[in-house]
Amino acid sequence: MASKLAVSNLDAWYGAQQVLYAISLELPDRATTAIIGPSGCGKSTFLRCLNRLHEEVPGARTAGEIRLDGDDLARLDPVLVRCRVGMVFQKPTPFPNLSIFENVAAGLRLLGVRRAEELDEGVVDALRDAALWEEVEDKLDAPPSSLSGGQQQRLCIARALAVRPEVLLLDEPCSALDPIATAKVEALLAKLRDEYTLVIVTHNLAQATRVADHTAFFYLGKLVEFGSTEQVFKAPAEKLTENYVNGRFG
Amino acid sequence: MTAGGPALGRRVARLRRLGGAFRAGTLAAAAIVVALVVALAGLLLLESIPSIDRWGLGFFTDPAFSAVPVIVGTLLTSALALLIAVPISLGVAIFAAELAPRWLRTPLAWMVDLGAAIPSVVYGFWALVVVSPWMARTGEPALAHLTGGTGPFSGLPLGEDYLTASLILAIMIVPTISALSREALLGVPRAPREAALCLGGTRWDATRLSVLRPAAPGILGAIMLGLGRAIGETIAVALVIGNIYQLPTSLFSQGGTIPSILVNEFGGAFGLQQSELIELGLVLFAMSFAINLLARLLIRRAQRETGRGGWFSRRRRRGVPAPDPVGTNLRDPLDRPLWWSRVEAGRPRAVRRRRVVYLIALVLVVGATAAAVYPLASLIGTAVQQGGAAVVTPSFYTSTPPPYCLETNASTHCPLGGIGPALQGTLILIALASVVAVPVGLLTGIYLSEYARRRTSQLLGVLVDVMVGVPSLLLGVFVFVLFLRVDPLDARSALSGAAALSLLMIPIIARATEAALRTVSVEVREAALALGFPRHRVTLRVVLGNSKSAILTANFLALGRAGGETAALVFTAGTSSYWFTSLRSPIASLGPLIYDNLTIASAPNWTIDAWGAALVLLLIMAAVSLAARLVLRADRTPGSV
Repeated sequence: MASKLAVSNLDAWYGAQQVLYAISLELPDRATTAIIGPSGCGKSTFLRCLNRLHEEVPGARTAGEIRLDGDDLARLDPVLVRCRVGMVFQKPTPFPNLSIFENVAAGLRLLGVRRAEELDEGVVDALRDAALWEEVEDKLDAPPSSLSGGQQQRLCIARALAVRPEVLLLDEPCSALDPIATAKVEALLAKLRDEYTLVIVTHNLAQATRVADHTAFFYLGKLVEFGSTEQVFKAPAEKLTENYVNGRFG
Repeated sequence: MTAGGPALGRRVARLRRLGGAFRAGTLAAAAIVVALVVALAGLLLLESIPSIDRWGLGFFTDPAFSAVPVIVGTLLTSALALLIAVPISLGVAIFAAELAPRWLRTPLAWMVDLGAAIPSVVYGFWALVVVSPWMARTGEPALAHLTGGTGPFSGLPLGEDYLTASLILAIMIVPTISALSREALLGVPRAPREAALCLGGTRWDATRLSVLRPAAPGILGAIMLGLGRAIGETIAVALVIGNIYQLPTSLFSQGGTIPSILVNEFGGAFGLQQSELIELGLVLFAMSFAINLLARLLIRRAQRETGRGGWFSRRRRRGVPAPDPVGTNLRDPLDRPLWWSRVEAGRPRAVRRRRVVYLIALVLVVGATAAAVYPLASLIGTAVQQGGAAVVTPSFYTSTPPPYCLETNASTHCPLGGIGPALQGTLILIALASVVAVPVGLLTGIYLSEYARRRTSQLLGVLVDVMVGVPSLLLGVFVFVLFLRVDPLDARSALSGAAALSLLMIPIIARATEAALRTVSVEVREAALALGFPRHRVTLRVVLGNSKSAILTANFLALGRAGGETAALVFTAGTSSYWFTSLRSPIASLGPLIYDNLTIASAPNWTIDAWGAALVLLLIMAAVSLAARLVLRADRTPGSV
């Protein structure tokens, strides 16, 4: 199993408070990894370390090493890292002042795509991949605020997909969505799993079993267990994991 | 002990009565504010009648007495100041809010806040001593040389002209616009910024894509406030523009603005001339009113556009290909268009390009920040150099101004004297003004936020904003004329000065209180109501409790503003070299002390006295804005959320 992102001994702090302790873990290429764990266990921080977004927060810092395809992440240009490692947030974050079309085109424009037909094709493909095309094809010039929450989240996924990142980080992408929108996003993730390296943070254990090939369980800033989803849920090696996946705490 | 029953009933009834009384109090305060604005406009109109009778429309056209040059002068200097100040302010705001390294943001914010708080008489003093000579010797000759001395840059550069006045105005409004624009930028939610970073944007891209447009209404408001300040600025302009009725032929012409002419001539005017000057004041009032309405209109439009996604949003240029008839979800995500490999290969180059754009943006905003900070540093440096010796001399704070002394080397051969009476007078004036302004302002703010219905609140809000925007000089003119009608002997007195200052403070406190109260969420209010708190207790305990730091800060700043005020006091408090004697006689204060020194032929040792006073004012403002910052920061520490 080739690893896309190799994390070793990762510590992370917000100011004086340490939130991650010596995380070591290899995220397999072209597979979906779920990160589970109770609130405040450092799942989101871990995700934000993977595209160096963590360092944008005042007072935040990290130690340890992350390798993307063998290259030390700390030595790469963070802007280039984020071209290769995309991210979708918990709440939909469309650019409120750009039209639906321009929201998706924004990343392409940053990459220097100027030709109108290329922009059109890139945007339409991304909207199709995100299963949103049919719902927005008549209102591409409308503001994103005219979309429902679920549609906005898929718009954000389309925006991230348009620049075809190698890794896509998803931070509880369905927590603000209703069940129907959640099903649509999950179907989308299933479609993408062979093509992208996906890392999804989720509170929803059933969702982890549905979408993920591998699962990592975090507790109090430490990695407790990492393995195939089936193993983690059916035969966890750690008592703590067993208690969590069986809903004894959370 | 049993709850309920008659005891509880009595308690509830008592609370209801208290609540009613409190509500009535806020309503009364709001009524006072309405009455004040109406009285202000009404009295100015009434006093203008002789002039209107005499001149009619000729006021604006008759060559025998023409207000046109002064009105043109006001508009020209303000427009020019805005032209210089807006790009610089935007640069400062973007740097301070988005691009500056963290350690630099706080000192920068503090510097900008201080710049906004420095009294205009101090700016004026510095302008007269430093900027005007520099413009005459270096700045204007250079401009004339560059442009060949034609068009707007023709004529003899004297350093005392439209250009210098506009430059001073620009320097004065840059901090105001920057500070408010920075707040607007910081008010934009963080999440879209991070989304832009995650697409491979630099911080500048994040600012451009997700911050500038949502902040546009706030930035517009800041610009309009700056414009209002420029239109009404009195002291600093009066010191460097020449104050003559003359249409400009070039930017190097001398001229006047409405406030500069008023402050120079109103004191000695009576009869028809006084009425003419008041009509000029009325025109100024109309201008600031118009700016206010225009600001509202623009901001409302900008807000609507934000919701609709207009303005900076680039539209698609061409039609999108027809949808795939096979259906949406059957597209294979592995399919990539042919051009994609080119884009992917060009990714490092694209990132380098983004970095270059980022660097260009950074250079521009750093340049703007330097342009904004340099004048402030020069001002502070000059004040420290000239007034430093005075402020460290204890007797400076306890002595009366020095006797006239004509020695050439004043600092060693003349007695220093002091600013004792002015310091005492300023404290008395502020105390008197606060007694009225703090309760009225607070209660009006509470009424606006808590009790008024939506429409009433909006309407009253317009009046309060109009009052905030009225140039302080006009407040002084209004109070002076009002006292003349009541009892001419009180027109120049501590009472009259305090009245003018309270008019200055009321709207500032009211608006800030309202804004602070509105930040307390509906949920918090409802939670308190659900606990059985009566309405006024919710307001006093929960809502005020949650926003007390912000309100305290606003009061600080209003006091600071009053402490350095000059234009409103020149005609009301008057000036004096002696200690306080009675509320009904003229009283010394810091602003007029400095202004008098600059306008009346002054001995060198008086100038040292004035610089000392200017430095004291600077120190007070620095202390006030530092205190405001500390109070607000203390409020942000966990535990008091």
